[in-house]
Amino acid sequence: MSEQTINKALWENIPKENKDAEVISRPSMTYWQDAWRRLKKNKLSMLGLLFIFFMVMTAIIGPYVISHDYSTQQLQLANIPPKIDIYKVDDATYIYMHSEYKLFNVTADGLLSDKIKETENDLTNRKRVYNIDGNEVVLDYSYASKKVEENPDGVKFKLFMNGEEMKVYDSVHNKSYVLGTDGLGRDMLARVIYGARISLLIAFIATVVNFFIGVLYGGVSGYFGGRVDNLMMRIVDIINVIPLLLYVILLSVIIGSGLKSIIIALGSVYWVSMARIVRGQVLSLKEQEYVLAARTLGASSMRIMIRHLIPNAMGPIIVSMTMLIPSAIFTEAFLSFIGLGVNAPLASWGTLANDALGGLRSYPYQLFYPSLAISVTMLAFNFLGDGLRDALDPRLRK
Amino acid sequence: MAKQLNPNDVLLEVKDLKKHFVSRHGLFGQHTTRVQAVDGVSFKILRGETLGLVGESGCGKSTTGRTIIRLYDVTSGEVIFDGVDISKVSQGEMRQYRKKIQMIFQDPYASLNSRMTVGDIIGEPIDIHNIAKGEERQKIIWNLLERVGLSKEHANRYPHEFSGGQRQRIGIARALAVNPDFIICDEPISALDVSIQAQVVNMLEDLQKELGLTYLFIAHDLSMVKHISDRIGVMYLGKLVELANSDELYDNPNHPYSQALLSAIPIPDPDATKHGQRIVLEGDVPSPINPPSGCRFRTRCKYVMDVCKEVEPEFIEISPNHFSACHLNTVNK
Repeated sequence: MSEQTINKALWENIPKENKDAEVISRPSMTYWQDAWRRLKKNKLSMLGLLFIFFMVMTAIIGPYVISHDYSTQQLQLANIPPKIDIYKVDDATYIYMHSEYKLFNVTADGLLSDKIKETENDLTNRKRVYNIDGNEVVLDYSYASKKVEENPDGVKFKLFMNGEEMKVYDSVHNKSYVLGTDGLGRDMLARVIYGARISLLIAFIATVVNFFIGVLYGGVSGYFGGRVDNLMMRIVDIINVIPLLLYVILLSVIIGSGLKSIIIALGSVYWVSMARIVRGQVLSLKEQEYVLAARTLGASSMRIMIRHLIPNAMGPIIVSMTMLIPSAIFTEAFLSFIGLGVNAPLASWGTLANDALGGLRSYPYQLFYPSLAISVTMLAFNFLGDGLRDALDPRLRK
Repeated sequence: MAKQLNPNDVLLEVKDLKKHFVSRHGLFGQHTTRVQAVDGVSFKILRGETLGLVGESGCGKSTTGRTIIRLYDVTSGEVIFDGVDISKVSQGEMRQYRKKIQMIFQDPYASLNSRMTVGDIIGEPIDIHNIAKGEERQKIIWNLLERVGLSKEHANRYPHEFSGGQRQRIGIARALAVNPDFIICDEPISALDVSIQAQVVNMLEDLQKELGLTYLFIAHDLSMVKHISDRIGVMYLGKLVELANSDELYDNPNHPYSQALLSAIPIPDPDATKHGQRIVLEGDVPSPINPPSGCRFRTRCKYVMDVCKEVEPEFIEISPNHFSACHLNTVNK
């Protein structure tokens, strides 16, 4: 073996740049950026968020954009559905036959104008005679009371023009009232949008009130613990066992039913669940070492609460707030539905549904649209809440 | 370790410190359970000294540290810091002592608030004690970061972006922000891996030299405690059983519990392990709710005598600066 000379310099350690060892190359990401990144991956939640955004925007600017007012009554144009059957009189004249046996002038693409006055109303033979552009149109509604043998098709009425039976020319969308009108001839679209305002307003106020009372109450209870906690939580228990309905009825008796009593009722009862959540969080967080560290530094209780405990409990707080909104919307709708809600002419989704009940068999669309609005909004908030829970859950955090 | 310590310059003296946790249960809290976490601990720490405190889990080491800094209220006993008994002052008066006594925590992941930037975490003591504002505050924070081997760019980062060792150094920087005289290190290296442990311990030693700090170093890693401490106290079930200079304790452990504890240190030499005997303790630590009468270690001690059951052994000086609480020292003489 021949002796090889190895350059000693090769055995020297490669000098390590002290600075390099401590450099963090990953971009800085706050907790909220991280949560947003995860929320964006959840398609249903983003759909819910988009819908909520759309709903809020509609509620805010909708009433200024649409042509009808939510409270203007057009009694002649009551109960007109969103889809209407029209008959052709001549090329320029079309009529719409309403199920209450009234005739309206209408254009071929569904723009309603006015009710046509009959020239003759024969109550004994159940016939109405109209004169439309010189044509004699006869509405015979005696079929509805005829026996099955005489009326095998089961039709309720027949329209005759100059003695000839008229057939449905077309079924068109109601251009004047996109979602139809209610029993007092008010535009359903305007009322549903206005209802969104009331429902979202109540949900928003209830949530804000819950947030402040619940976080403060739960925070104090959890932070001080012991006897204070025990006493405060028993008060919560007592509030919790009083049924909300009873509470609202009592409040309505004192301050009258309406928006105010619903808001007071929801605000004074709903914070209970929030207080419990915050208390539980604070109870566990206050034993964390960073809270102990703050205490060894001499931080005041207020500072520990605001800087350490509440920011760290924010995840569950936000999730429970998002879950609380649909619950508040539904409670408001329910209370309005049973007649403890907002007063006419104000409309919330619950009162709209209630108003529709009377004519449910004839005009089901009046119940359908407010119910749809309630369901879809609740669904959207629940989807968002689920997504937020996944996104903010520290256990899923990597 | 050639530290010049003045034996008369006592920074902290703990006299018969007791911390009992009382929990009430039953509907009206009529039943009480008393956990005697710390039950009569006395020691002195000289200025500039490091006192190690060892013992197994649940023996009251951390509670001792936390009681000294008044995270817990003292049940009885005295904590004399710089001539003042801080065990009874109000929380408001305690504020000024919080600038002098600081604490480093065990878990670097739990001891930093994940919602705050590193700059704000280190700046918190500065804000609380109104030390500085604005640019001056920023400068202090940057200096502290550089002092613990991080750079000022890190001030805007969040704790979760750092490794365990880096986070522990952030915790140290926070403790240093108020310029303390005395730092309680509550198992600061237990949660770190070995290479990082050395890094943090060396940094603590450097800081002690530079700033003249005094440490109470709580740990259960005996070799690391020996490395950093001047004197070591051994705790068992809420009581100090032995207190001696670290070399003395390692060479001549007196208390049977210390002997068992030290025999558990692995020695990186196969021959030594063959010859040395490992003392394995039988049984579990008794509950601090209902500790054994007399000597608390008697249930697991292989030298147990009748007297151990009846009389609690006194904490006596068996040789200069070597204290131990065991009947073996008195009975045989």
